[in-house]
Amino acid sequence: MKGIGIALFLSWLLSLAICDTEVAESSALEIDQDIVLPNDDDAPSSTVVDSCVLDVPYDAYSGSTVVDDQSSVKNVDENTNVEISPSIDVKEEISYPYEEKLMIKPLPNNYLLTSFSFRMDSEEFMPGKSALDYDGYGHYTVFPMAFKPMMDRTATRQLHLRFTRGFWDSESWGRLPHDGFKSGGSGVELWAIIEAESDDQAYKQWKILANSLSGLFCASINFIDTSKTTYPVKSFQPDGQLPLFDDTKKLFLVRAALANEPVCTENLTPFVKLFPTKGRSGISTLLDGHKVFDSSWHSLSIDITTECSASGETCKYQMEALVDVVMNVPNVLARNERPIPKPVAGDKLRCDLSKPFDAFQCFPLPEETKVSYSLSKIYGKQILGSNEISNHPSHVCVDATDDWTAYIKIDDTYFSTDDNCFELKSSLNHDVYLESENTSSVIRYESAPLYVSRSLTGYGQDRGGLRTVFKNPHSNPVKAVYFESLPWFMRVYLSTLKLEPGENCDGDGGISLERVMNSTYYLPAVDRARPTHLEYVITVPANTSFAISYQFDKSLLQYAEYPPDANHGFEIESAVITIIEPSEYQMRTATLLLLLSTPDFSMPYNVIILTSTVIGLIFGTLFNLIMKRVVSMQLADRVQATSGIKYKIKMLKQKLLSKVKRLTG
Amino acid sequence: MSLIGKLHRRVIDLGLVPKIVAALPLLSMLFAVVSVGWLALLPLEGRYRRTYISENALLPSQAYSYFRETEWNTLRGYRTQIERLANSTSRERNEEVAGWLREFGVKTAIYQDEKHGDTLYGVLHAQRGDGTEAVILAAPWTNADGMVNLSGVSIGIALTRFFSRWPVWSKNIIVVLSENPKGSMRSWVEAYHTSLDLTGGSIEAAVVLDYPGVNDYFDHVEIHYDGLNGEEPNLDLVNIAISITEHEGMKVSLHGVSCDKISDNDFWSRLLIMLTGIKNAALSGLRKVNGNEAFSGWRIQAVTLKAHGTEGRHDVTTFGRIPEAMFRSINNLLEKFHQSFFFYILLAPRYFVSISSYLPCAVTLSISFALASLDAMINNNYKKLPLSSTYNLLSLSMWCISLLGCFGIAQLFLRFDAPTILISFSALISFLPLLLKKKIAEPLAYRLKSVAFLFFSLVLTSLLMVNFFLAFAMGLTAFPMTLVRTSSLNNYSLRIKLKNSILLLLSNPFIASYIFCQCFEPDLPGFTVFTEFATAWKELGCWTWFVICIGWLPSWLMVALSTLNTQPAQLDDRKKKFQ
Repeated sequence: MKGIGIALFLSWLLSLAICDTEVAESSALEIDQDIVLPNDDDAPSSTVVDSCVLDVPYDAYSGSTVVDDQSSVKNVDENTNVEISPSIDVKEEISYPYEEKLMIKPLPNNYLLTSFSFRMDSEEFMPGKSALDYDGYGHYTVFPMAFKPMMDRTATRQLHLRFTRGFWDSESWGRLPHDGFKSGGSGVELWAIIEAESDDQAYKQWKILANSLSGLFCASINFIDTSKTTYPVKSFQPDGQLPLFDDTKKLFLVRAALANEPVCTENLTPFVKLFPTKGRSGISTLLDGHKVFDSSWHSLSIDITTECSASGETCKYQMEALVDVVMNVPNVLARNERPIPKPVAGDKLRCDLSKPFDAFQCFPLPEETKVSYSLSKIYGKQILGSNEISNHPSHVCVDATDDWTAYIKIDDTYFSTDDNCFELKSSLNHDVYLESENTSSVIRYESAPLYVSRSLTGYGQDRGGLRTVFKNPHSNPVKAVYFESLPWFMRVYLSTLKLEPGENCDGDGGISLERVMNSTYYLPAVDRARPTHLEYVITVPANTSFAISYQFDKSLLQYAEYPPDANHGFEIESAVITIIEPSEYQMRTATLLLLLSTPDFSMPYNVIILTSTVIGLIFGTLFNLIMKRVVSMQLADRVQATSGIKYKIKMLKQKLLSKVKRLTG
Repeated sequence: MSLIGKLHRRVIDLGLVPKIVAALPLLSMLFAVVSVGWLALLPLEGRYRRTYISENALLPSQAYSYFRETEWNTLRGYRTQIERLANSTSRERNEEVAGWLREFGVKTAIYQDEKHGDTLYGVLHAQRGDGTEAVILAAPWTNADGMVNLSGVSIGIALTRFFSRWPVWSKNIIVVLSENPKGSMRSWVEAYHTSLDLTGGSIEAAVVLDYPGVNDYFDHVEIHYDGLNGEEPNLDLVNIAISITEHEGMKVSLHGVSCDKISDNDFWSRLLIMLTGIKNAALSGLRKVNGNEAFSGWRIQAVTLKAHGTEGRHDVTTFGRIPEAMFRSINNLLEKFHQSFFFYILLAPRYFVSISSYLPCAVTLSISFALASLDAMINNNYKKLPLSSTYNLLSLSMWCISLLGCFGIAQLFLRFDAPTILISFSALISFLPLLLKKKIAEPLAYRLKSVAFLFFSLVLTSLLMVNFFLAFAMGLTAFPMTLVRTSSLNNYSLRIKLKNSILLLLSNPFIASYIFCQCFEPDLPGFTVFTEFATAWKELGCWTWFVICIGWLPSWLMVALSTLNTQPAQLDDRKKKFQ
């Protein structure tokens, strides 16, 4: 701590020196110098005069292009969300339509949410014309080269890909980041809007898309087939109008999910490679598989849309890639010190002194609320420089209450700003340092508008039930679209659909299925060809909870349909709930594990071996018992002499001879 | 002449068929003796096998267990608080403990059950898991003996806190603190699969902790594994529990047999464990319920770890290391428990016999009843009666009536708990032939017995795969039934009648189970076995009562009926046939 203090003091001295000389010519970003020494709150000497403008490495870029940034910074502050200013202007200087932002947000109970956002545009192109037809040249710049040919070939207008894993604790953490629209259910989720002539054509293009993405991300997306694909009617609808390149065709919304598909480094590496910085500079340097996947919850998402000019002459693809990671800070920090979470040393026990406490007993205190750590402790490395190809420098924001202080550390110097947002402009190492006296004080996201949980019920191997609990703790009714796609081997009986009232369901004439559920869309499954597709609009009255349940039969699979490897059941993808009123929000239930009766696969082999042996033995014995006779040797000789082939040939020969004799004689 | 013809001639020459037919009662007895003998020989060297971990992924005790050092202080800190809470109401207790659990990130909920008591449970979401599977750590507030499970609950809480710091979990961990290990725990498990809002995925395994009192030291660990209705947890789970306990230096006892006896490791100790094991499994649900029974069904493998003794060299955290290492093992599983045996009898912690070795006992026993039925059918003057004779039809309809009547009795008893009436009524029926002068036709008596034994044999055969222990115990205690004699009027002496009555008395389902429990089961003194029949069905869904009432009682009633005075029938049918 002392070292940091000294470093800060030195940097302040340095900045004072620069201030005197360069105030006049600096026109770039202003930084408020509310630098407060860590652990030294009220040291007056460390506070610098406001409006001192600094031109340390922090501000490497200059020029008019930076002006845009301030508006975008404000934007971030107001919405506490990573939102990107809509227009990206390409100036005369060589810079590309690329933006990257990092938002750090402490969550309750010492959790930390880090949201990375990367945004890039493709070059403009003319729909319906190949690059040869107009006077242009094929050029990709920052837009990942893999995507455009794939999007063109499959006529995909919108593409959404999600890799999510973990448990989002909405009860204590509140709403999902980006209102849930940027994270999927546990596993992989993919949906796209495809321009095609017919359903069949759309499915063909979809299959090509899935296979290409599978190769690109080293994921099992190629396992998406008709038995997993649905065409949502009410959920996943795109906002606004999408361009149609060919008026004779239509747009198809196609979706599929692979529940509990493991998300791992294999997926992250190609993901990071999509960015022009390739994980070598800017905030993407933090994205290390060891850390991202050692988190409580993480979500990787890619959204590509087609944007066309008003006239429809030129279009471009816009890609937004997001990585959201939630980590438990004390656990991660503890693991840095001791990789195995062994019991803490006796002198480090934190005991509740209000309860009996001595050398023998210790009632543990809750986690410490006073923390200080740097981002490099969490991610294992520092942010290496900035992205140097765009006119928007990498942007880092800390979204926290006044109980938190955030600094950016450039090499060994600490800086802070009023709004806790920093721009990385140098190619030096950056690190974010966070400190708080009371970690329980965090900016609370609005609480989730609805809590939904789903579970399997039932006892046996032949049937079961699915029960979804809806809980609305707020004082206004919530309207939502419930989307569920179930594998064909769950034979759903929609006739058993019923509502179990929960809390506060008695008032206002009670609650009934007809009152809460309307406009149901149900497409029954076809064995091995189509999943059950269920969508309904549900209205959950204020302060109410209830459960909707239905029964299903488990069907028997053919032996080759069981997974060949370790099988602990069949994954059921999560249900998707899109809330329409009072505010737009999307959430997903946990995935489920369905147990089907699994045959003992070595049994047929055993049965065949055993029955063959037994049949062989019985047949042999019985045949012998019935057909064989025991006779004396003489009798056997006599029988042999009067039967058998030799005897017959002899007889035939005699006959022939006698005939010949008769003819001749 | 073919070989078979020769054999046939030989059989006829020797008169084997009539000899065998005449010896049918003896054969039936012989089969019963073979059945018991087969079982008694199982503990012989070479007839049993050493247990082994069948699923390679389990790797018990391969990771060092860390529930030690300062965890000891934490555990004792919790225990002092729980000791303080022991006298408060269940609501206060649950709310306070729920607060502690929430401190380290466990999602808690209280399942309210007015009848059996509330259950507090919490889900610790596995950081790296997919949230679809769960392992249960359960600690009922009171144990099977009605003692407050103070240390067990504190170990449960301290261990959950310890688990919350580990990133290794691939399955959610659910900690369950129910009021008692019986009705309350079972009702929670049932609710988990029907109506609970907070769930953590399908349950793979459950470990129930039973460590009453606040003593720091204990002597040895007893492992309970009997499930309800003949179910047993996968042998792999029992194996890892035993191997981990022994690895941590503790001794394991099974079925209340002392460790010293087990360490003798001779024929008699193995026989003792096997027999008490069969007895406990047959009476499972009726005897003390240790908690693991509550998880029976739903493909959940469950064991109870019980600490015995208040002195010894093992420390309370050592006990905690058993569930710790077990959780680490179960956590390794990619598949469900399926590798090892689901039907087995343990002869010692490390010895077992598998189903193929012990099943023949029950099979021969059921064959012995089938032979008795055959004997009653053909070994008398009335064997030539046609199938559709009045006697056959009458006995079949009596079977139907008694079946229905017994079902009625079973249902009635669940509502009105009156064991004395049941017993005295049974005794009365047993002695009825002595008192009653009413006569029935002799062929009817034979047919009744035949149908009764055939039915009982079928019941045993269908039961022996599902619940070997109950089938075997039932077959053995009902065996005196087959010795009941029906004779023609002239040599029907009082002695035979008295003998019949005593045999009936011994083989009556209620009297037999009463005597059995009086002799062998100290947990069920007096008439408690009958109350337990009813509560086991109501609270646990244990169907022993119905098996006894519907599978055994009808046969017994029909045999009892057949012992009434008989008169030879005028075999009109036979005469007609001869003419």
